[in-house]
Amino acid sequence: MRYLLLSLSLLLGSCFNEPLYHSQSYVFGTLVDISIYGETDERARLLANHILEDFQNLHNQLHAWKPVSENKLGELGQLNAAFQEGKKPTTISPELAAILVDAAALSVKSNGLFNPAIGHLISTWGFQRDEFTPVEVDNAAIKNLVHAQPRMTDIVIKGNAVYSTNPTVKLDLGGYAKGYALDIAANYLHKEHVNNALINIGGNIIALGKHGENPWRVGIQHPRAPTAIATLALPDGWAIGTSGDYQRYFMLNGKRYCHIIDPRTGYPAQHTQSVTVLVPPQPPNQTQAGVLSDVVSKPIFIETPVNRNAAAQAFGIKNFIVIDDQSTIFVSSNMLKKIHWVESGVKFSTLP
Amino acid sequence: MLNFLRYPKLLIKELLIGDWLIILLSLVGIFYLFQTLWTNEHAAKVQIRIGDKIYATYSLNQQREIHVHGKIGDAVIRISQGKARFAKSPCNTQYCVHQGWLSHAGQAAICLPNQISLELLGDAKPYDSLNY
Repeated sequence: MRYLLLSLSLLLGSCFNEPLYHSQSYVFGTLVDISIYGETDERARLLANHILEDFQNLHNQLHAWKPVSENKLGELGQLNAAFQEGKKPTTISPELAAILVDAAALSVKSNGLFNPAIGHLISTWGFQRDEFTPVEVDNAAIKNLVHAQPRMTDIVIKGNAVYSTNPTVKLDLGGYAKGYALDIAANYLHKEHVNNALINIGGNIIALGKHGENPWRVGIQHPRAPTAIATLALPDGWAIGTSGDYQRYFMLNGKRYCHIIDPRTGYPAQHTQSVTVLVPPQPPNQTQAGVLSDVVSKPIFIETPVNRNAAAQAFGIKNFIVIDDQSTIFVSSNMLKKIHWVESGVKFSTLP
Repeated sequence: MLNFLRYPKLLIKELLIGDWLIILLSLVGIFYLFQTLWTNEHAAKVQIRIGDKIYATYSLNQQREIHVHGKIGDAVIRISQGKARFAKSPCNTQYCVHQGWLSHAGQAAICLPNQISLELLGDAKPYDSLNY
């Protein structure tokens, strides 16, 4: 009996003193949610604060349109200003140069559907602001910008010197930076010998280790209801990302205009509500899981229904979910084995 | 009455249609209550965060309006009969208000411009973080 009581009290004690640190902050114009398991509260707080500082610096460096301080643009803002002026090479940091090389390769892989060079289109639609209100759709300007074909391959990178052969190139790393930040944070935590953590930047999540005995669990948001549609275990090193039409959008004459713009038409993609991709750990010296979780959802979102599979396969992604404008749910056969529906009786189609 | 307990067969014979209906309705009632109340998912509390701080945690078992001051202005959070929602917000888009009522543990509504979040807490958290 005494042993029973002892083990019971230990069990209860461990329930109440679970070594889980949890913090929420606002960076990158979105919510950053950090969970660290198995460290003292004090150490976890220091680690989380360090990560948040890194994120804030990255945000300032990579922000497409907001000045860091009065009259001072961030590194990306300065580069965009230089692109507009002509072909004079600008010196950038090795870090930004590596990001641009990587983003250009990913853009080519996506057949140009992931295109961080269309910053002018994004601002024409009013999405380079803190809040999104309906804009007068300027069809002439959109047509001109599509015709000008700003592409990542217009950017010439020689060492740390960069210029653009196309003055309409304006970089917006909104579909890259959050995933990149996840990889930075995961590397930092590895370096600090932290084995168990979950980092969520505005819906892009990466897992390190486990939540105690169990894997980290994440919920996938329903695009039209304030609830999760499914949950899944996120194993060590895996990342998950969702692109949706419900976080950044405006309504105009009953139609939804979201921030994900098809570079081929210059218009927001309107045939998809959300795309979720689940990415396994990647080999070193390649694009890491965090970046892929951010990038790959965009081409699948934009691509026509028959080409969604091909868009995912181009990046070796086997696990994904698409919810289209009719709220029809498509799940890849691999992904189906990993998810648990929150409600029973969810109707869906399986993709091969 | 004690006779019935001693001889259950007698009890069944003596029951009238009305008695059976009462038994049936009670069973349905119990089943319904079990279904709606006896689940981990049902939320008991709402946690309000402002910026990176936990502002407060309130029981959902009350009728109440909470006025909170966020980054850009004053928001109103309404609690009513096991549910919570953003009732008013100073943001332009009103995404947070459009989220509507939250009633299950793990559900969350976030107002990014005003940096206020609501999360419903229950006995068991269905997931560690939400992929939205």
